[in-house]
Amino acid sequence: MPIKTWELDPNFKNEILNEPGGEHLTACYQCSTCTLGCPITELVPSYNPRKIIQMSLLGMRTEVLSNPDLWICAICQTCTARCPQNVVVGDVLAVIRRLAEKAEEAGEIKIESPRPLFETAFLHTVEKYGRLYDIGLAMEYYPKREGSFVAGQKAMMNDYMGFGMRMFKKGKMGPLGGHGLFKGLLASKIKQRDVMKKIFKWVEEKEK
Amino acid sequence: MSVEKLAYLPGCPSEATALEQHMSTEAVFEKLGVKLVEVEEWNCCGAAEAEDPNLVYALNARNLAIAEKDNLDIMTPCSICYYNLARTNNALKADEELRAEIKAIDPSLEYNGTITPKHVIDVLVNDIGMEEIKSKLVKKVELKVAPYYGCYLGRPPETAFDDPDDPVLMDQLIELIGGENVPFSSMKTKCCGGPLMMTRADIAFEMARKVLETAKNAGADCIALACPLCGMMLDAKQPDVEKALNLKFEMPIVYITQLLGLALGIDSSKLGLQKNVVDTKKILDKVV
Repeated sequence: MPIKTWELDPNFKNEILNEPGGEHLTACYQCSTCTLGCPITELVPSYNPRKIIQMSLLGMRTEVLSNPDLWICAICQTCTARCPQNVVVGDVLAVIRRLAEKAEEAGEIKIESPRPLFETAFLHTVEKYGRLYDIGLAMEYYPKREGSFVAGQKAMMNDYMGFGMRMFKKGKMGPLGGHGLFKGLLASKIKQRDVMKKIFKWVEEKEK
Repeated sequence: MSVEKLAYLPGCPSEATALEQHMSTEAVFEKLGVKLVEVEEWNCCGAAEAEDPNLVYALNARNLAIAEKDNLDIMTPCSICYYNLARTNNALKADEELRAEIKAIDPSLEYNGTITPKHVIDVLVNDIGMEEIKSKLVKKVELKVAPYYGCYLGRPPETAFDDPDDPVLMDQLIELIGGENVPFSSMKTKCCGGPLMMTRADIAFEMARKVLETAKNAGADCIALACPLCGMMLDAKQPDVEKALNLKFEMPIVYITQLLGLALGIDSSKLGLQKNVVDTKKILDKVV
């Protein structure tokens, strides 16, 4: 489909450039080293970091922010390591994902991928306890992803029942390892949880 | 030996899914005579899920600050903790304003950039050194090993301590303890799929399959690794990958500290080898 120049947002590149991690966007000269070495592109041919960058530079804001492929990056840093122009491609893509989440909050786009829900659930446990709590993460993430508590429990069982049993049998979660009755089952909490709250509040203020 | 005492950040998986990595790290360093002081009340580094660099910097400033108070370099066995600690250290060292801003959140986040974050493998090979380790070896681990480095040891360049394309530090350790590295260069640094486990399991499983299959085809007795997320994906989820793709690997996955611990003569139960999901008994038979 031809690009409609009157629909481009020439300020979009500046939005990216102004975010931490997005500073080197304009150094890209489209060599495609990022894409050729990407382990995700190998499996999902539509995934194309080079294209995402070029579309961003052109100002194709809505197309970029609503691209479902944004959410299948594994953050493996191969693109960043190999980029001859030091675009820091992985960080640029992270900036674009954050901008997409903001655009969704503003009602401009709809993100189909559950990844923002997953990341939010992960960080909620860190904010609450100071450490990752796997079970708390899953208990928030699955119901949100599936749209109801019951459907969420079912999906969680389907994905993690076997895993949970293995952790239990090996004594990594639960009493069998001799590390404590509720090892891994209850959240591990740090005492200075107020500092965690302050950190997350600071980040939220800064984002505004 | 230049290192006697280090601050130790076990990382969140150390409390459950990667308990054996934690156990074997502590046991190995005890044997090598390096005292580990656990970072008191350490917090999560934000892993790959904290996509906002400011959040990463603030979370990791706290862990760095606690270690700095003891004037100790901080070591972690977790590749993602290492990456986040190292990039926070770089950012805070370079930016006085950012340092002040983070300190203003809470006084406990005051970090002055006087210590260095290190990954376990870096400490073992580059600080303690091969000669020192060699002098303490009592057994030979005669295994064919696929050395798997994953993402964050050689990438990104600003925090890497090994070659991005052909890392060698784990290979050297494996050779030192009597193991043989199978040809694995195509997979050494390829992502295991772990970060996509809960959002795109289909892609994650395919990525894990490539790693497991390559190791098996190369004749490996086990895969050695250093990242707890890789461990979760390749070991704890291996039965799920097998089931979903209708394949059989039965490939033991061990942390490099577990293998090194065996060569240092540490009891396998102290190294947590009974906790790896894929059975590791066959490996123990080859420790002589």
